[in-house]
Amino acid sequence: MREYTEKVQPPRTVFLRWPFGHPVGEPGNSAQQQAVVYEALRALYQIAEPGTIVDLPFRWRRENYADYQAPQACELE
Amino acid sequence: MSVSRLKNQLLARLTTAFPRLAEHFVAGYQAQQSRGKIPFVRPVKPLRSARLALVTTAGIHHTAQPPFDMNDKEGDPSYRVLDSNTLFDDFTVTHDYYDHSDAEKDPNIIFPLVPLQQLVAAGVLGSLADTHYSFMGHIDGSHIKTLVEKTASEVASKLKADGVDLVLLTPA
Repeated sequence: MREYTEKVQPPRTVFLRWPFGHPVGEPGNSAQQQAVVYEALRALYQIAEPGTIVDLPFRWRRENYADYQAPQACELE
Repeated sequence: MSVSRLKNQLLARLTTAFPRLAEHFVAGYQAQQSRGKIPFVRPVKPLRSARLALVTTAGIHHTAQPPFDMNDKEGDPSYRVLDSNTLFDDFTVTHDYYDHSDAEKDPNIIFPLVPLQQLVAAGVLGSLADTHYSFMGHIDGSHIKTLVEKTASEVASKLKADGVDLVLLTPA
């Protein structure tokens, strides 16, 4: 829930409006899970402002991860 | 099982199936507002040489460990220490406040161990800790103080002692 995150104020957050209990995606969808983990790590290195929430663009069940571009090494340092 | 636990589990299934219902419950529940400066440090090492651990509030734990207390309406602020080498061989989820039937089919959706192991194998991530930590994310009332002052702080100290540079927290 984005509303909870806004109150709790973690240092940095990637947010997906997906069903409860599915923070990394659907069972067996390894491309989706990998993309979410990559985006969390990209945010970890790229966010400069404490408390930033990044809304990820991935749609629930309608996303084609074949076109997903993983972060470059320079974005993860 | 008590009627109150069954009610919580039924609500969890309904709010997962019908997200608009979940929004109704959120409107009725006030999460505690954090005060003061947001803690923030930039990563000191590039990802390719950093050590990462997972912390989750999804309630996953080894089957042999005691379950989280689901009879206390204010939740359970304790944590379970997870061994990533054996967790997926024999795990359970104790958390009545969300529908974890999908997580039981593939625990990576709440605890993304395999995607992270693949990043280590690809040289993208330096290393993954062997020890990770699990909470049950329904923590309210007086237990918030215990979480903030005792259990979360203990976990942070243990992560530090283990040489962990980065933590990814997965909520549920």
